[in-house]
Amino acid sequence: MDYSKLKKRPSYPFETIAVAVSFSPRLEAVLCEAKRISNLFGSQLILLHVGDKTPEKEELLDAHIKKVGLDKNKNRLIWMDGEPVDTILKLCKLNIVDLLILGAIEKENLFRFYVGSIARTISRRAKCSVLLLTQPSNHPKRFKKIIVNGVDNPKTIHTIKTALYISKHEKLSEFTVVQEDDLPVLSMTIAESSTAPEATKIKKEMMQDENIKLQKIVDGLDKENIAVTIKTVHGKPGYAISQFAKQKDADLLVFNSPDTHLGIFDRIFTHDIEYALANLPCNLLIVHSRI
Amino acid sequence: MQLAYSSFAHLTFMGRLSHHEFIILLISMAVMLILSRVLAEFGRKLKFPIVMGEILAGIILGPTVLGLLAPNVFTTYFPSIGNTSIALDGIAKISVVMMLFVTGMEVQLPMVLKQGKAAIYTSTMGMIIPFASGFFIAYYFPSLFGVSDENYRLLFALFLGTALSISALPVISRILIDMNMFKTKIGTIIIASAMFNDLIGWLIFSFILGMLNTSTGEAQSVWITIASICGFGLFMLTIGKIIIDKSLPWMQKKLSWPGGILSISLGICFLCGAFTESIGLHAILGAFIAGIAFGDSVHLNQKAREIIHQFVTNIFAPFFFVSIGLKVNFVSNFEWQLVLVIVVLAYIGKIVGASLGAYLGGFSKNESMAVGVGMNARGAMEIILGTLALNAGLINTRIFVALVVMALVTSLTSGPLIHYFVGKEADEKKSIETI
Repeated sequence: MDYSKLKKRPSYPFETIAVAVSFSPRLEAVLCEAKRISNLFGSQLILLHVGDKTPEKEELLDAHIKKVGLDKNKNRLIWMDGEPVDTILKLCKLNIVDLLILGAIEKENLFRFYVGSIARTISRRAKCSVLLLTQPSNHPKRFKKIIVNGVDNPKTIHTIKTALYISKHEKLSEFTVVQEDDLPVLSMTIAESSTAPEATKIKKEMMQDENIKLQKIVDGLDKENIAVTIKTVHGKPGYAISQFAKQKDADLLVFNSPDTHLGIFDRIFTHDIEYALANLPCNLLIVHSRI
Repeated sequence: MQLAYSSFAHLTFMGRLSHHEFIILLISMAVMLILSRVLAEFGRKLKFPIVMGEILAGIILGPTVLGLLAPNVFTTYFPSIGNTSIALDGIAKISVVMMLFVTGMEVQLPMVLKQGKAAIYTSTMGMIIPFASGFFIAYYFPSLFGVSDENYRLLFALFLGTALSISALPVISRILIDMNMFKTKIGTIIIASAMFNDLIGWLIFSFILGMLNTSTGEAQSVWITIASICGFGLFMLTIGKIIIDKSLPWMQKKLSWPGGILSISLGICFLCGAFTESIGLHAILGAFIAGIAFGDSVHLNQKAREIIHQFVTNIFAPFFFVSIGLKVNFVSNFEWQLVLVIVVLAYIGKIVGASLGAYLGGFSKNESMAVGVGMNARGAMEIILGTLALNAGLINTRIFVALVVMALVTSLTSGPLIHYFVGKEADEKKSIETI
């Protein structure tokens, strides 16, 4: 298999979008959302289903495709047998998918969360960007409020650019980049050996450095008419931004793809994106920047 | 009324502090707090760790200085027997439990996981090599440390290995803040690795103390001790954590501020300490694990965290560190050969181990050395570990003094050594760019 086309491929434009098809009650809504998004970006849409190809399923899917109004000649439908997660990931690589759309429930029960559902496992392992839709609708609406995680990481610039690309297509006038203020061990250090003004100064300086870095990234973007706001929230990374997205009633929360392979320990000792995956505050886009 | 009064009189006879003893206790506590603060503030100006001032206060007030210059004053205000001594000992014991609780609060396992390969390599190599070197030397050359009892050779070797493998998170983070390196790649790896070292170190030490408590030392006891540690840890970090996480928002909202959070957090700390003590492990394990579960909660706000730290670090920690100097004569127990062996072992094991780990984790040679020397600071953690071992009869006073000296020397040299290697890395990068 030649994956060379995938290497260093930018995270946008979304030339090829795939949607995972499962015969759940939300199938039609997920297809409607996928259609809207693929039309918005002028992308080719691939429908992926992992499982037996039976006449009943074919008939049911055809009926949904017709109802949604997807052009069968323009878009592709792939059926394949196998283990769902690995097969979907393989198909995404083979077809050089830029964005994979999945329906996902907001909060899974504890057992399912720790064991790992299909949608969440794909989100953790995918080598392309993944969009988890929490409340897909038969009458999809555009993303109006987008919040991006501005964590200090080389991937962040690509993630912000991808969010900007989406914002331009959605004709937004603004979006927010959130910086999380969490300084582990600082309480202990300050308690030991700092005067009150020193402690304030240390905290301020630490956040200032990150602010300057983020501001530089934002200043260097081709924003057209979109106003990019930087907001600092306090709390644990991943959790604080999820809470913020919930409070602001955001439509889309955008994260970098994980730096490391996330396993069960990352769910037990939850951190970063795992907080968002544990309890999706809104639709979640995980940008895989392939750097 | 008469009956009640006679009951109290009976209690007084049984061991309540007398009026005079109570005054002595208050004076000694005041002197300990004030002198340690004065010396710590003086040391802070010179960028010394606060613990240094506290230890020095103990040395001045203890048998080393005051006991030598004014023995009567020393025995009056810091008696080694009697109710005042018992009261001071109780305060020191409670202090160490609370200190382990706040140490646990800063152990953030997610941070270690987040840093991935580099943190795992650095922390594991930074533990394995110093542990193995300490264990090997202590087990095969016990005479170097004056250990003659064959029954304690294994436990002593385990202890020395542990003592050489832990790091001091507060000292390290202070150095990194002063050098403006706290949020750099090197700084983050040092902090994450030191957290992991602390966790494993305290678990091993709890195991050693648990083994000391068992009279037989048979294989079954070992497994029961290990099972107890794992079982308690697993319970607290899963179910315990969920309970704490669910109740914290309510506590912070409904209880008076900051009294509510202080009472409940320390209440949990003492309960867990009492539980582990009752199952044959040391109270520090319960407090430490409770601290991890408490500190990991997303609902514990920064201000509450700071208040708990301020309370424990500035009021109780000085009692503990000063009390060390009150019990030990640092001059008569100073044996330079022993100090040299422990200091050399500490430097070689930690720097080689942590640097190698960092190198395997993808850092350059100089960056790896900076990580290694950064993790070499032992600070207060080593002193707490040594004191608990001394109290448990695991080590003698000479080894304890050597450990304290090692803790202070490693803490003082970490900053300049990090500075040297970071500077060297910058110079090398510059020269490559020039070429």
